[in-house]
Amino acid sequence: MRGVQMADTDIPKHDVIIVGAGPAALSAAIYTTREDIDTLLFERGVPGGLAAITDWVDNYPGFPEGVAGLELASNLQKQAERFGAVIEFGEVLKIHDEGKWKRLETTSGDMLARAVLIATGSDYKKIGVPGEVEYYARGVHYCATCDGAFYRDKRLVVIGGGNSAVQESIFLTRFASHIDLLVRSTVKASEILQDDLQTYVDSGKITVHLNTATEEIVGEDGKVLHVIGKQHGKRVDFPTDGVFVFVGLKPNSEFLKDSDIELDHLHLVKSNDDLQTTMKGVFVAGDIHSGATMQIASAAGEGATAALKIREYLEGHKHPIQN
Amino acid sequence: MVKNITIFTTTTCAYCPMVKKYLGAKGLQYDEVNLDKNPERQQEALAISGALTVPVTVITKHDDTREVVVGYNLAKLAPAVA
Repeated sequence: MRGVQMADTDIPKHDVIIVGAGPAALSAAIYTTREDIDTLLFERGVPGGLAAITDWVDNYPGFPEGVAGLELASNLQKQAERFGAVIEFGEVLKIHDEGKWKRLETTSGDMLARAVLIATGSDYKKIGVPGEVEYYARGVHYCATCDGAFYRDKRLVVIGGGNSAVQESIFLTRFASHIDLLVRSTVKASEILQDDLQTYVDSGKITVHLNTATEEIVGEDGKVLHVIGKQHGKRVDFPTDGVFVFVGLKPNSEFLKDSDIELDHLHLVKSNDDLQTTMKGVFVAGDIHSGATMQIASAAGEGATAALKIREYLEGHKHPIQN
Repeated sequence: MVKNITIFTTTTCAYCPMVKKYLGAKGLQYDEVNLDKNPERQQEALAISGALTVPVTVITKHDDTREVVVGYNLAKLAPAVA
């Protein structure tokens, strides 16, 4: 449609700026750029987002044997870039509604966009117990694919009971001699993952501790030594060399605080049926969207939908099939 | 001025290719130590960075001073290799 413009001011202008470069964002970019809509993505971390640091993705359509998260992320990025999407590494700090244009305050300066897609996804939550911050990256970790290799033949504690906790525990068995999986209530991972988990439980590689709340991560001389848990009101000690935490997701919506974009009680972004937020011309897709299923396939699908809704918005009319 | 750069990586780390891509785009050469293939060098990475994580980028300057960047942190990496 049009390239970067430097019209009235020195502020760069784009048709669409996508905040984030995860599966929702990259899928949207594939659609917008194929329609020749000038698209810039802003990413503060790694393209692919959480998918890129996930060991293995088994439920993304089109990969009968599954696919490494990093490979999926890399392929999504390549596909979007093939059609002309540009990823800028930086952070969007605020979005201002200036009518026809949205002004984005970013770490690379101000930018203007005719439409914006918020696809910032989520990050792993912290548990907030003593020792977690003190031993961060020195015994407490949130990325198994990054840091698991440091625990060859060591004991590990993994905290969490959802898909990520189970999936990453299984991944960590390739390094660790034994894993204690501390689950606050019951294991909530998908049935297929629970079946996989059972294999490792049977072989003695993973021990699952249900109804076990984590109370403290204890170390000495810069090394983690054990985790204190509470099980049925009693203190239980888990000796360990390291701790991996996967206790759920925290939406990346801090930058929208005090903006005109409405969030729900979980700090996820609300939208209408057209995926448009409470700020006209600003859309939302993926894990950051209120009601999101937190699935990569859902995020990718919603990214594509958002791109089509953005095209309609930019063109000022509905797609013929909806007229 | 940069004399040499070493990056400690693992095979599955998503942030490691980002560092390599950034240095490559700047036309900077680097040595890579993959800790999955060279586990005996993990202690070295830990001693240098103080962290059990990758990527760890070690930038040695011409005056033999050294800067260490832990993680994919462009705010630190960019000035360190400038």
